[in-house]
Amino acid sequence: MRFLAAAGLVTILSGLGAYYATDELSLFSIANLVVGPLLLLIAGVIEARRFQGFTGALSRRVALRWGLISAAVLAVGLAATLVSRRWDATLDLTAERRYTLSDQSRVVCKQIGTNRSADRNGAPPQLLLLKDTLIAKEVRLLIKAYQRTCPELEVREIRTADAPPEAQAILDAVEVTVLACQGGRCEPAGFPSEENITNAVLRLSRRREIQIHFLVGHGEANFASQGKHGFAGLAGALREEGLHLEALVGPAMEEIPASASVLVIAGAERNLLPAELEALERYLERGGRLLALLEPGVSTNLEPLLGRWGFELPSGVMADRASSPLLEDPKPVSLLLRAYNPFHPVTRKLSNRTMLLLPSARPILPVRKPQAGDALEALVFSNRSAWLETDVVAALADRPITPDPEEQIGQELPLAAAGRYPRDDGEARIVIIGDRDFASNRLLPALYNRDLLLNAVLWLAADEEHISIRPKAWTPDQDPLTFQQTLAYFYFLAFALPEILLLLGIHAWYRQRGG
Amino acid sequence: MGAKIEAKEVTKRFGNHVALSNLSLEIGEGEIFGIIGPNGAGKTTFLRILTGYWLPSSGDVCVDGLSVVKNRFTVQKRLGYVCEQPKLYTDHGVRTFLRMMGELRGLKGVALDEAIEQAIERFGLEEVQRRRIGVLSKGFRQRVSLAQALLHDPPLIVIDEPTVGLDPRQQIELRRMIQALGGRHTVLLSTHHLREAEVCCDRVALLDRGRLVQIATAEEVEMGGTLETLFLELTEREEEKP
Amino acid sequence: MTRRLWALFRKELRTLFASPIAYIVLTAFVALTGVYFFQHLLTYNRLLFVFQSEAIGAGGFDAGTVPLQVNSLNELFIPASNDFSLFLLAVLPLVTMRVFAEERAHGTDELLLTTSIRPWEVALAKHLSTYVFVFLMLAVSAIYPAAVVAKSRLGMEHLLALYMGQLGYGVAVAAIGLACSSLTQSQIVAAVLAYAIPFMILDFTWLHPVLSEGIAELLNELALQSHFDSFARGVIELRRGIYFGGIVALGFTISVGSMEFTRAR
Repeated sequence: MRFLAAAGLVTILSGLGAYYATDELSLFSIANLVVGPLLLLIAGVIEARRFQGFTGALSRRVALRWGLISAAVLAVGLAATLVSRRWDATLDLTAERRYTLSDQSRVVCKQIGTNRSADRNGAPPQLLLLKDTLIAKEVRLLIKAYQRTCPELEVREIRTADAPPEAQAILDAVEVTVLACQGGRCEPAGFPSEENITNAVLRLSRRREIQIHFLVGHGEANFASQGKHGFAGLAGALREEGLHLEALVGPAMEEIPASASVLVIAGAERNLLPAELEALERYLERGGRLLALLEPGVSTNLEPLLGRWGFELPSGVMADRASSPLLEDPKPVSLLLRAYNPFHPVTRKLSNRTMLLLPSARPILPVRKPQAGDALEALVFSNRSAWLETDVVAALADRPITPDPEEQIGQELPLAAAGRYPRDDGEARIVIIGDRDFASNRLLPALYNRDLLLNAVLWLAADEEHISIRPKAWTPDQDPLTFQQTLAYFYFLAFALPEILLLLGIHAWYRQRGG
Repeated sequence: MGAKIEAKEVTKRFGNHVALSNLSLEIGEGEIFGIIGPNGAGKTTFLRILTGYWLPSSGDVCVDGLSVVKNRFTVQKRLGYVCEQPKLYTDHGVRTFLRMMGELRGLKGVALDEAIEQAIERFGLEEVQRRRIGVLSKGFRQRVSLAQALLHDPPLIVIDEPTVGLDPRQQIELRRMIQALGGRHTVLLSTHHLREAEVCCDRVALLDRGRLVQIATAEEVEMGGTLETLFLELTEREEEKP
Repeated sequence: MTRRLWALFRKELRTLFASPIAYIVLTAFVALTGVYFFQHLLTYNRLLFVFQSEAIGAGGFDAGTVPLQVNSLNELFIPASNDFSLFLLAVLPLVTMRVFAEERAHGTDELLLTTSIRPWEVALAKHLSTYVFVFLMLAVSAIYPAAVVAKSRLGMEHLLALYMGQLGYGVAVAAIGLACSSLTQSQIVAAVLAYAIPFMILDFTWLHPVLSEGIAELLNELALQSHFDSFARGVIELRRGIYFGGIVALGFTISVGSMEFTRAR
């Protein structure tokens, strides 16, 4: 009997071993995995026949009690394991809290909830995981974070073949593992990062079309350029959030279209034509929304127009002794900013721990209300160690600069400001930021630059409910020990430590043998 | 002092084999009671049931009126057990072992320290108290075993085949120690050495193949000659029965 | 009760460390984890060097030339964590095999179980002391990764999560080994069972071809292998703890039950 049991065990282990080694269920594995349990079964039956039983009522009672307790523990353990799949709590101990959803994801989830309460008949948005694709374990953990934080978002695992018809076109075109679908529409999540998944859901759940028009023709930022100084990243970020972009050729336009939710003038370097200025004025008067990014050292005829809307735009550039060490070429004009207006929707979620990195910036002073009832507010402030350098040319050319006696340090000047202008035809809104290049491809992902810019656009487009702090891109740890350090540790730890333990073992053995 | 023991129709079966059959006996307080019988008579089985290590198939044993089946842990507090072939932790030092056994029996603080010192002195363990049990002679191991059984000063001492493997001198010493326990403790001594029972015990129960053959007092033992004669007589008479 | 439990616990540790097997197992585990961890580290260093060399050759080194997927977590800590779990599987039965079986074979359980100690107290002390040994093994082996984490961005908290997973896994494997040890007098049988059972429940993917999708998924939830991966990724999930806790509870119950069975036979 014992031989049979041992043979059964060996047979099962051989079958499993072959399976684990080759990663396939070969005939050898199958044969072993069938024969092994059979041998064990026969051995069990023989042993059971030899079993003399628990003689006496007392013995039987004890045996029964413990048999039942063991069975109950097994049952409870199994049930708890299975139940806990649904009800689970997790602790994210990753350095960057990769599996804790960001503010943006939470905001989007809340918005789904709001949409659901408004429209109870509508289908909830779903996250579809294509289980026959290669889903990384990180993605599964992320999806679980959505399940925990966002119960309104239904998560389903399906086979690619079972994907809804509206997803098939996407699946034919691109390789995806996660899709967001709602009411006959699907959005691919691309590489399934939190940012991409949340944006896919956001695009679906956005109830209103937002058109962003970019003025071009005066040396503004190039939204097609992928280079370091281009602005394709900004265009991509806006599109990812479901906003529609359109270029508006200034010199050719007669009127700014009524469909323009927001007009962006990203660092015009040349004057606008008088007709353009007039069109812009008319657009604002009828409740238009304008985002203007102004570069220091550049002066255009846009400034008098903005002055009429209450902003004073002193020439000069902010300089700071504590210039940003984050830049490859730190200059006194590069600024790390952390002081925000805590009451304005655009900056309410930013704090002194969410900094901005501006390569150079000019002050934007909200000084007077054009009409009673208008509201002008500063959004971002310079540091206490900063001053307004009037020698812009020297400062931008990286020549040594020091504050002159009349250049006061510590004024904490606003570098971005916003205004609201209720008019008969609607409420006009303007946001001006005293820098353009902070939104370039190189600097947009830095710190919280993207959040300031996108939140400003959302506020202008009256989409305040989606104002949030977006998930940060994960920074992988790629710099472990050097080769020399590795070797040093190796000798110390991999040899010295086991050696010490072995010596202790020999000592114990000696004590036991020799007394 | 001492505990009163009452066994009521104790039976222990292992499958078809009956190790103990309807054993009933009573042992008085302070008595040194011997259980003798050939190998396989059921002596150790009875002791294991009495100490709560095994459950009887039927019947019960009461110590001072407490059932060992129903109140196993309370009964165990009242007894000290010296197993056959002293089963000790050989990797422990004598003193460490005694301390652990004292703690397991609920002793602590000064009471524990005193109990250990007394046990070491009583059983002559001074010279080996720092040594590992694994390197001690059989005689010393048996003394350590007795010492641990007496640490908490229990009313009942159960001793199973204490002199197996000891040389004659060690046997004599050990018997004297057991004799000294009488009166203050009830001692239940299992042995297959008839001489041992004759010397140490007030009364002796003779077991054979799981059954109680006879209980003899010290006087009866004397009147019948030696216990050896009685033992042979009884077992032969049993064998003659159809 | 606590005092008695503490006395039993100390006795178990004393017995464990009086035998050279504990040191041999500790040495073997620490040496294996050390060698394998540094093999992964060297491989990773070489991989980084290859990527960086290619970047230099292509006209200049710039940040981001090493793909994001090539990072210390994916190339070093997760493979090392998988190795560590296999080593635990390999060495723990050598420790657990003797815990109950030796006591029963030497008959010292008779001494213990006639001192009014409850069988569950004996079993608890044995389980706890073995888990402490597992903890010690992992704590010593944690010096390697900690030395690397101290110089990296991964964070000690992440390492803690990884080791919590290893601890849960190790304790579960030890509980299975202890249950096996409690069922027999033979240390060899106990060791064979303690190797065989975790090996059999390691992974049920081999059964997938003959099972329906639902049952396969259910079995996957019960497989040892599927429960420590998230720890290595820095996430502690309650349900993984429940799974390991369930195995420990079952192992403990079987240990106590087998002691009671022995008494009742």
